[in-house]
Amino acid sequence: MEELKFSKTHEWVKVEGDRVTVGLTDFAQKELGDIVYAEPEPVGTYVEVEEIIGTVESVKAASDLFAPVSGEIVEANEEIGDEPEMINQAPWDAWFVKIRMADPSELDALLDKDAYDAFCEEEGA
Amino acid sequence: MKKTPLYDRHVALGARMVDYAGWNMPVQYAGIKEEIAAVRNETGIFDVSHMGEIRVSGQGAGEFLNWLLTRRVTGKKPDQITYAILSAADGGTVDDLLVYTMGEEDYILVVNAANKDKDLVHIRESLDSYQAAFKDRLSAIVIVDESDLYGQVAVQGPGSLDCMLEVAGRLGLDKGQQEELKGLKRFHEMIVELEGEDRSMIISRTGYTGENGYELYIPASKTATFWDIFIGAGVEPCGLGARDTLRLEAGMPLYGHEMSPDINALEGGMSFFVDLDHEFQGMVMKDKVTRRQLALVSETKSIPREGYEVHSGGKQIGLITSGTFSPTLDKGIAFALVDLDTPEVEEVEVLVRKKLQPFTVVRPPFVGK
Repeated sequence: MEELKFSKTHEWVKVEGDRVTVGLTDFAQKELGDIVYAEPEPVGTYVEVEEIIGTVESVKAASDLFAPVSGEIVEANEEIGDEPEMINQAPWDAWFVKIRMADPSELDALLDKDAYDAFCEEEGA
Repeated sequence: MKKTPLYDRHVALGARMVDYAGWNMPVQYAGIKEEIAAVRNETGIFDVSHMGEIRVSGQGAGEFLNWLLTRRVTGKKPDQITYAILSAADGGTVDDLLVYTMGEEDYILVVNAANKDKDLVHIRESLDSYQAAFKDRLSAIVIVDESDLYGQVAVQGPGSLDCMLEVAGRLGLDKGQQEELKGLKRFHEMIVELEGEDRSMIISRTGYTGENGYELYIPASKTATFWDIFIGAGVEPCGLGARDTLRLEAGMPLYGHEMSPDINALEGGMSFFVDLDHEFQGMVMKDKVTRRQLALVSETKSIPREGYEVHSGGKQIGLITSGTFSPTLDKGIAFALVDLDTPEVEEVEVLVRKKLQPFTVVRPPFVGK
């Protein structure tokens, strides 16, 4: 988990070459509670930083996932649509999309684990 | 923020606490789905101590309440409870409430926490209007806020009577009172005197979940002890999150959503609780009905949320007032407020994230008969 990066909008980001895999953080899934709906944006969509890459809903609330970097969505995890509870059970495995990065320098704006944990602590307090 | 007598218990149980109407309240403990399943299949308990209790008593109190509310409270049995709407002179909704008959010319109104202060102002001002309008009616009415004297818990679910009987002795009910509890009808109450307390406990067969259940108005100093007895008996603690979804599944309205100063009781689907054959303040609402309520069930995985647009025949006809995912039905459900002249249709569309999704129009409740 050490190699992951994080956004302030609660996405985790795993870098593999010129691609990133993006999912919802453990903190965010706990905040939402029982997740009952999940839908990634379709493959082929080009997104700028902070544009929507997916939607997640709990019993009580709807929320979006935002692009941590700009680029094209090259894979979307359709399984989370059939089993949205996966996001509660294993948030680090239940990825939403893979993005082919347009500008890897955008990764520098993301948080490392310690910084993200501190950010969550502040937000949760 | 205000705390109920059960605040420490919620924190100890690991509840997630939120600000609700100025109160620090538990929104969930184990999780909304688990809590909802407990109430639908077994028994759950809710802290509803934030609800307000306003006592209206004295000569002429019953006649005054008849005029103040959308339904008559007089002429009922002494242990009968009336659900009614508190409407403004312009017909808009001030609050919805339960009226407990406590004795001759002695009533307790149980009101929403968020509305209690404005209710008190409204009721006092209305009393002035009433006394000016009906000079021939003798009245010596006293209005007292008794909210701080009571804690309140709701025990809800198909197992609630068995659970109540199991712990009844420890709550101070003698054999006779336990028999009375067994025979207690829906929307009726019983009074239990407690040793060492000036104030009696009120137990009513009421609730906000659509399941059988009981609400207990407990002197504040005993509320935590009684809560512990229920938790010790294995009853599932449930938060406000589960409560809101359970009430919507049961087709029950929530103030600020289905009714508001701008949405009168007839528009909000409450015509069953408005007796137009008696004179009451706010009666003008009958001439101000421009919208009506629809109950909707999702035909896809889409979940409707408050404020989403409702469309029919190629145009917008209204908005969602309450929407949620129903774990019991495994579908999205909602109440909508639509234009009165909307033709009767079996299906409408709801705009969910820029896409129109099909919804079936149903008769509430969504869950249960």
